[in-house]
Amino acid sequence: MVLVASHFLISMPACPPRKHSNKPYRSHSRTPSSKLNQLSLSNERPRACECFDLYKDLVPYGEAWSWQKRIVMDKKASIEKNQDCPDTLIILQHHPVYTLGTGSSEEYLNFDIKNAPYDVYRTERGGEVTYHGPGQLVMYPIINLRNHRMDLHWYLRALEEVVIRVLSSTFSIEASRLDGFTGVWVGDKKVAAIAIRVSQWVTYHGLALNVTTDLTPFHSIVPCGIRNRQVGSIKGLLGEFQPSTGCEIHDRQLIDITHASLIEEFSDVFQLAIHYKTIPMLDFAETTPTQNLLVTRKDLLVTRKDRVFFDPLFLLIIFLHYTYLDFII
Amino acid sequence: MALRVWASSTANALRISSASKARLSPAFSLSRCFSTVLDGLKYASSHEWVKHEGAVATIGITDHAQDHLGEVVFVELPEPGGKVSQGGSFGAVESVKATSDVNSPISGEVVEVNSKLTGSPGLINSSPYEEGWMIKVKPSSPSELESLLGPKEYTKFCEEEDAAH
Repeated sequence: MVLVASHFLISMPACPPRKHSNKPYRSHSRTPSSKLNQLSLSNERPRACECFDLYKDLVPYGEAWSWQKRIVMDKKASIEKNQDCPDTLIILQHHPVYTLGTGSSEEYLNFDIKNAPYDVYRTERGGEVTYHGPGQLVMYPIINLRNHRMDLHWYLRALEEVVIRVLSSTFSIEASRLDGFTGVWVGDKKVAAIAIRVSQWVTYHGLALNVTTDLTPFHSIVPCGIRNRQVGSIKGLLGEFQPSTGCEIHDRQLIDITHASLIEEFSDVFQLAIHYKTIPMLDFAETTPTQNLLVTRKDLLVTRKDRVFFDPLFLLIIFLHYTYLDFII
Repeated sequence: MALRVWASSTANALRISSASKARLSPAFSLSRCFSTVLDGLKYASSHEWVKHEGAVATIGITDHAQDHLGEVVFVELPEPGGKVSQGGSFGAVESVKATSDVNSPISGEVVEVNSKLTGSPGLINSSPYEEGWMIKVKPSSPSELESLLGPKEYTKFCEEEDAAH
């Protein structure tokens, strides 16, 4: 069954005033300018980016990882044949899971890896250990940097820029970069972790932004190998900065608002026109990772939410189709 | 880093004897982005170099590549005995939370890997053409070398790539 829910707009509750900037990203890094040329504002039509929007779904990590790799393979094949292909963006949430990068050290795990509280995956991305779980929006841009800037530093700074703009324009939270520590920080709290893999200039893996995440699982690791600093979430920061005013936003609304802002800022920073796509079921079949890549596996209850069958809007439309609309037609 | 190689290459250009032992002479001591490109090597457009000496070819990434990557913190290498194919990935280098594939310029069998890179991945930054070599390969199709770029073509390629981005 094709997932159609993603075609329907979700109505947003009223948000704080937005100071949205419709500008692509210009890097102000101190890297020598010969390596970081300024992006000029282009008058050309933005490039297309297909978006697989699963932001309300908890997707098993292994599935999402396999899916990314298939998309990367397809793009590399197109590039080999000199065929153009659109960029891709996947946005989703994960079940609780720890992931390691290629060179990650197990010393940053505060538990015995053979007896881990959640699944642990060793992946091919950069960076050290991190946690993914419900309430955290994860973005996997799979883009051809040949169509943007063939500069990994620029790409990482641009991903940070997306999150910085979301926090500023939607929540009036001033976030920043920390030199030498990739990610997005509010004070000494890291709210978004970023780590990528690049294969022939095609990127995958990406960023994880804590929105309403339960941060407890981060205590079992040294997140990203950085000691003496904390992890934060948007919900936590809003609670700190704006204690209860009697007008609270529910977790689900916070996720909705953040998701909408992430897509918009991503589109602006990378100058991409977002085209929502449905997900072919074959691309979403579970594949079991090989033993040496999945470090431990817990028997999780896979909560694959079928949005088609349970989405109220979809049910309403089906109801109208078979009753009222048929009657008047 | 690149400055040491530049100094040595400038000394060569000016015919000033260098204290260091004889090395491959750089074809161009100064490129637009201060990366060094050496004579006697062949280059891939994905920024790897290959030095073919008899039965074995040594492979690594170029000064241009390491300069753009920044500090290399981890290097992933294949096992000796494995096969590599031209244009295919044989390993990866990690810097700044980004891990990038490294591709083989030629096909063949991996006969040796530079195990020093495990403990000292920064050798790729400090000595990309010498101590930072990554793998040694027994070429299966020596004619593949003809399809690679020479020093002048590679330098021009880098300049065009930098200018476009």
